[in-house]
Amino acid sequence: MEKKLNIALAGNMNVGKSVIFNSLTGLHQHIGNWPGKTVEKAEGTLHYKGYTIDVIDLPGIYSLSTFSIEELISRDYIAVEKPDLVINVVDASVLERNLFFTLQLLELEIPLIMALNQVDLAKKWGITINYRKLQKLLGIPVIPTIAVRDMGIYELINMAIRIAEGKRKIRFLKLKYGKEVETRIKKIAKLLKGISVKYPIRYVAIKLLEGDKEIKKIVTKINPKIVKIVEKYKKEIEDIHGHSCSTLITSERYEVASKIVRKVQKLTPHKKPSLEDQLHAITTHKIWGYPIMFALLAAMFFTVFSFGDFFSTLLTDVFVMMTSTLEIICGSGIAGKLIFSIIEGLVAGITVILPYILPFYIILGILEDSGYLSRIAFLMDVAMHKIGLHGKAFIPMMLGYGCNVPACLACRIMETQRERLIAIFVTTLVPCAAVTTIVLGLVGRFVGIGWAFLLYVINLIIIFILGRVAFKFFPGEPVGLIMEMHSYRKPHIKTTAKQTWFRIKDFIYIALPLIIASSFFIKILEITNLLNPIANLMRPITVGWLGLPTIVGIILIFGILRKELTLVILATLLGTTNFSLILTPIQMIVFSLVTMLYIPCIATIAALIKELGWKKALLITLFEIIFAIFVGGIMFRLLTLIF
Amino acid sequence: MNNPIPLINLKEGEKAIIVSITCEVDVTQRLIDMGLIPGTEITVIKSAFFGPIEISVRSSKLAVGRGIAAKILVKRK
Repeated sequence: MEKKLNIALAGNMNVGKSVIFNSLTGLHQHIGNWPGKTVEKAEGTLHYKGYTIDVIDLPGIYSLSTFSIEELISRDYIAVEKPDLVINVVDASVLERNLFFTLQLLELEIPLIMALNQVDLAKKWGITINYRKLQKLLGIPVIPTIAVRDMGIYELINMAIRIAEGKRKIRFLKLKYGKEVETRIKKIAKLLKGISVKYPIRYVAIKLLEGDKEIKKIVTKINPKIVKIVEKYKKEIEDIHGHSCSTLITSERYEVASKIVRKVQKLTPHKKPSLEDQLHAITTHKIWGYPIMFALLAAMFFTVFSFGDFFSTLLTDVFVMMTSTLEIICGSGIAGKLIFSIIEGLVAGITVILPYILPFYIILGILEDSGYLSRIAFLMDVAMHKIGLHGKAFIPMMLGYGCNVPACLACRIMETQRERLIAIFVTTLVPCAAVTTIVLGLVGRFVGIGWAFLLYVINLIIIFILGRVAFKFFPGEPVGLIMEMHSYRKPHIKTTAKQTWFRIKDFIYIALPLIIASSFFIKILEITNLLNPIANLMRPITVGWLGLPTIVGIILIFGILRKELTLVILATLLGTTNFSLILTPIQMIVFSLVTMLYIPCIATIAALIKELGWKKALLITLFEIIFAIFVGGIMFRLLTLIF
Repeated sequence: MNNPIPLINLKEGEKAIIVSITCEVDVTQRLIDMGLIPGTEITVIKSAFFGPIEISVRSSKLAVGRGIAAKILVKRK
């Protein structure tokens, strides 16, 4: 008979949890969302020693309070779904803070194994940990691991099985609080006796004292009297200690953690600052940090887009050769044309992913895994604060330069709903790789690279202004930056590859099907001869306000559906690739600017709906269309004065 | 003379003891969860006239925005 085992991975952010998850489950993974939440849920399976082991990677968190959705999800999963076992992944170089989390897991009274990870890095910082002693003190198995080198993974899984088979018993460490707190916990626990909740009674008692909103809600429903008594107890404790009850309990947990650390950890301080420390100092330097950042980002953009341009031309040539035969096969009948439009859509998608988005995300992934992106977040915090966001919001914005779809999803790193909304809004204003090809191919080639650059500067200014307006428009206090600064490390290839793949997957699963569908839809419009009437209808806007040729109206519709094809279609409609023959420099600049600002493409709209719901998605979309046309018209009038 | 001062007033390299945190409840909870508990010693690693402050606390390094750092009261050591 097949034996089953459910394991959950829990731990702080950036401790190597996903690396362990990856080495456990390999390619048998499923990334989805927690039901009804915009939080990623990573599940995977492995088969080992006759067991089918389901592994779930819980979000990286620092505590089990309910500060964030992630913390609530993790806690509920452990308490309600009751996995057979939880593996607590711990960063050996920051043991004390990690232990603080471990102690909270222990209070949930579930079988626990600790993976003491990154012991090699800890050693490098002069930290050695006596894990046998730690094991004794905590009463749970502790296994030293170096996940990036797959060390300790087998030991982990073997231990999990031994526990499941009852060959290894776990003795829970009962964390004892100070007298004042402890006696009251016991009293509350007594009151709670007989009440059925999904959490252990002692845990509920502690959480009530901590003022946990969720637990309070649950208990109020069952017996509001208990909550009242707890309030009285809290008041008593606060009177004695002068700190809030939750601060006191947290600090007592930390005290226990720090006591354990003193017993198991040996420090040999190194005198010379390491290379990583020096790198950190210079890249977050108050003056030098900025030029280094700009130089690095500029180099990244230059490499990606010059390489992309070369590769994309090559790819297009190959595809043109291949597709021209396919076009003949499909024939000139309506059905044939429609089938061919699907192929065209697919090809167009590929010629954007491979040359531009993929390399862009690989480089960004390397910067991220090495720790440089958090330095950028650190440097950009001041600027981002002006639009009501903190530094971390700059990361999704950078992703936006590749493709807006994964960028919108990446806005989940923002803590509150309000922050997420503003971050998504400004991210959709960032010109993606497809838009960049338009700006470079049109303005860059025919008007001058300086003008193309200027457009990007204008775009940044607009993002800043609109961000500020949004910040004032949505009520609420902005959340400040609280971010752990990890030491620089060598990027782990597998992790980077995986991260890149997940971002590309967002594009493939959300954007590509829509690109293909739009290609199909446009073909229908073309076959039914609806394109020209629509373009004529748009004349007041395109010709009257923006000063563009009538035919460009069609392109603007295309822009919603298929940004990356804009230039190709423009060439087809105009009958030439030498756009300077037909479009004046002013028209090219105005057209590029409108494309930059105007609407996230249909795939981004889909991502918006996914993240924000219909109403907000529609609002953002409509606003951006109107705004782009408005700005385009003004630009047209300004440029007429200059040229 | 050794009165509590906001964290932003410290210079790079200075050590201090946390006295109290006066942020809103959720932010305070997050900070103490990260180990910034009254009585804890911290070291300022980075502090410029603008931008976030980087501190070292319980052997981890933490960047906090200026708005938050202004509401963390400390005593110089």
